[in-house]
Amino acid sequence: MLTLRGLGKDYGERTAVKAVDLDVVRGEILGLLGPNGAGKTTTISMACGVVTPTRGSVAIGGVALASEPFAAKAKLGLVPQDLAVFEELSALQNLRYFGALYRTRDVEWALDVVGLRDRATEPVKNFSGGMKRRLNIAAGLVHRPELLVLDEPTVGVDPQSRNHIFETVKALHAQGMTVIYTSHYMEEVEALCDRVAIMDHGAIVALGTIGELIAKHAGQGVELELAGNAEAGAAAAVAHGATRDGALLRFPAGAPLGAALAAIEAAGATVARIESRQANLETAFLALTGRALRDTE
Amino acid sequence: MIGAAILKDVQLLLRDRGRLLSLFALPVVFMVVFGSMFKFGPDRGAPRPIPVWSGRPELHLDSLGEGFTVEPAPSADAVRHAVATGDRVAGLVIPPTGPVELVIDLAGPVQVRGPVQGALTAAVMRALAPPIPMPALIEAKSPPGIAKPLDSISAFQVTVPGNAVLFGFFLSMTVAMTFASERRSGTWRRLLAAPVPRWKALVGTLVPYFVIGCVQLAFLFGLGALGFGMQIAGSVVALVALSLAVVLCATCLGLLFASVGGTEKQIGSTAPVVLLVMGLLGGCMFPRIAMPDFMKSLGHVVPHSWALDGYYDVLVRQGTSLADLAPSIGALCGFAALFAALGLWRFRFE
Repeated sequence: MLTLRGLGKDYGERTAVKAVDLDVVRGEILGLLGPNGAGKTTTISMACGVVTPTRGSVAIGGVALASEPFAAKAKLGLVPQDLAVFEELSALQNLRYFGALYRTRDVEWALDVVGLRDRATEPVKNFSGGMKRRLNIAAGLVHRPELLVLDEPTVGVDPQSRNHIFETVKALHAQGMTVIYTSHYMEEVEALCDRVAIMDHGAIVALGTIGELIAKHAGQGVELELAGNAEAGAAAAVAHGATRDGALLRFPAGAPLGAALAAIEAAGATVARIESRQANLETAFLALTGRALRDTE
Repeated sequence: MIGAAILKDVQLLLRDRGRLLSLFALPVVFMVVFGSMFKFGPDRGAPRPIPVWSGRPELHLDSLGEGFTVEPAPSADAVRHAVATGDRVAGLVIPPTGPVELVIDLAGPVQVRGPVQGALTAAVMRALAPPIPMPALIEAKSPPGIAKPLDSISAFQVTVPGNAVLFGFFLSMTVAMTFASERRSGTWRRLLAAPVPRWKALVGTLVPYFVIGCVQLAFLFGLGALGFGMQIAGSVVALVALSLAVVLCATCLGLLFASVGGTEKQIGSTAPVVLLVMGLLGGCMFPRIAMPDFMKSLGHVVPHSWALDGYYDVLVRQGTSLADLAPSIGALCGFAALFAALGLWRFRFE
């Protein structure tokens, strides 16, 4: 449904996105994850034709964005991270304007999809944050796109609205719509997405199903912290298959833990803390992108 | 798409009281205030009372001519007191001997004091001089090649176009604010993601304001003509063509502001200053004819002066045609092209 080949963007000397290759399969929900400044929004902007790439190509539904931009864009709906609606207008007036951009007058169905039919004629400025977010989604849906791109659609919404947005995305997916979903919330991506692409430093560093990513990058295991002659104990643990992260030792699932503990004791160390590690998407994400803070977008 | 954009921007405008006030109500207030301050011609209003005390019974002033009425005062000091307190703009004291005393605040601005002082001096001379029949010594006439003006020119012939041009160009700030607002809110991103050519996205944002600008000028000139007695001495077609050129120029200036102006806050702090200086240089607040030569020449670097010259011709000079306004309309279109070219050169879609 969406094909990115060698897609990249430079701003002067700074490279925001290096050269992304990605295939989004028709009918799937692909999660796009990454820390701040990883290049997610720039990649999405290039894929939607909002930002002109420095290199590479985009095809939407088999139509090249560069050579047939209008045909390609007609297949795609963008829900930006910002509340990209006119707050002084009513929900219906907003949808009529955005529908006109796609030459469609049949817009009221989108209000049903996001549950705003009964507030259609009310000014958006009177809406709650969650209702505005839902209208933001409706404005991206209004022309019934084949591919819907949702950029952080649940930022700042209450649990009820978040749940409604989840249900909306699931319903659209059930109808055959392809969805790209970016979020900082791992549980959202785990709940919704068939596959996940993790971006960092302007490149995709991992791509696969959630199970594949967890198995490859955050397998289950045991974490240890040592006391006593911790350095000697850590060396013994590493010799038995542990990985070391400062004072923390990690054994993957299936490691010879009994022999390792005996070796640690023999080295003069004692176990100060031992914990079974539950692997999930977050541990995979942190394993891939590190724990350092990212303060720039 | 452009029709939907016009509808959307009109709906937004109708819900924005601040912009409605600045585009429609504020110019009317200025027109009324300035029209009342600078009354001349048929709507000049009530004559000004001038207190007069005469110490010479044989010299009695019955009339001071057009624009003034004689108000007998009980004493010379009463005349001086009335002027000193600001109750009267001037007064006359005719002592038993010696020259007549024109009581007036000499610290007053010459623009206000001069005409009163001159008119009263002439009135006193006419009243006190022996009546000698004299032929007309001087007659004012326009030179050949200049169309005959209206017989009477009201203040609104000047204040309506002056304020229409001043506030008409404030449309450019609204245009620039719209671009900045759409960028901030993300609706511009949505527009770029839609199957709409970029030139159409740009034109679709500008055209609604061109339409709104036309409505604004039609409202102001319509109100001037129907409400304030402003006359149109020349061709209505020429007036319409000139107004279209003014709105085009203001819209293109808006594109230039949008391309260099930055955020809404930055535009809101710089554009009014630029527009007020342009209006001042162009003669919207003070007639260019009364400016020093240097200022008069400088006025031609802003479109406001060309617009006002054209409006003055078509409103005041009888028989002014579209061809007569060609220099003004041509200059305004030239400014529009310059602003558009600079704006497009600097404009960043992304």
